[in-house]
Amino acid sequence: MIPSDHFVRFYNEVFQALDERGHEHLVAYWRQLGRLQAAELAERFRAGGLQAAYDYWRRVFNEENCQGQLTLTDDCLELRMDRCPSLAKVLDSDAAPCPLYCDHCMAWIQPVTEACGLHAVLDMQSRTEPHCLLRVYRDAAQAAAFERQALLPSRPCAEA
Amino acid sequence: MRQGQTAVRYRDTGQVHLDFHRTTNGTIAYLRTTYGQDFLDEVLRRFAREVYRSIREDLRRGDPEQLVEHWAYYLGREGGDYVIERQPDLIRLTVRRCPAVAYLRERGIGPDPAFCRQTSVVNAALAEGSPFELATEVVGDGQCVQTLRRVRP
Repeated sequence: MIPSDHFVRFYNEVFQALDERGHEHLVAYWRQLGRLQAAELAERFRAGGLQAAYDYWRRVFNEENCQGQLTLTDDCLELRMDRCPSLAKVLDSDAAPCPLYCDHCMAWIQPVTEACGLHAVLDMQSRTEPHCLLRVYRDAAQAAAFERQALLPSRPCAEA
Repeated sequence: MRQGQTAVRYRDTGQVHLDFHRTTNGTIAYLRTTYGQDFLDEVLRRFAREVYRSIREDLRRGDPEQLVEHWAYYLGREGGDYVIERQPDLIRLTVRRCPAVAYLRERGIGPDPAFCRQTSVVNAALAEGSPFELATEVVGDGQCVQTLRRVRP
């Protein structure tokens, strides 16, 4: 059994192996993850809106031992990650980190939010330090405005 | 084979996010159906060689204790039902309730036919080039026997 705690290190090796076959293979895998996550979450988010998204991330935030702040306003859900446990584990590994590791997050979040009429923007801020800023908006224009000011917006499937 | 406190490369703490077993299952299914079992196994061997480098190096030196500690720590942390037995030239891990399979079953998710290769292929890769062989026998749904046997001095 690959322990749950070691999953992200396995994930990292999957990303590396697929990217070595060709970047389009990595993007195809991310798209599959997006389909699976959308099947799991989109209806819940569509029915419950940002509050349902907040409830989901609240549980994940705790279970994955995230450090940061999860905030819900009338306009958006904000997840400010001060220490991302996922990238932190990948960096704390005998294996080399995949340079595109952080993009997997947006690769599954975007299909979920698009499927339920919400608009996500992930500012990765850095690919080598475990912190980032995610916002999920009701309004597309507000999301676009936030993306314009992002330091390092994640667009995992843009070039495939 | 000695017992006692062993230095281990990874010892995660805090809450456990068991949902990752679902993603592992989906990833194994995707790799197997898209690229075939050989590629899946290649990725699993890569994981074993790169991420568990420290366990492999200990096994190559003839020291199985980090592997045994890894078994006990992570199966215990996820609520597995298991027994570890020691004999002069082998250590046997009997898993009576695999936490990963149990998680999937409890949610009505069928494990991919290759789901247990995450154990058998990784185990085989861990023992490569060492004085041990590490065999995995799946004996039931969520049940297996993993036997580490010294085959060379």
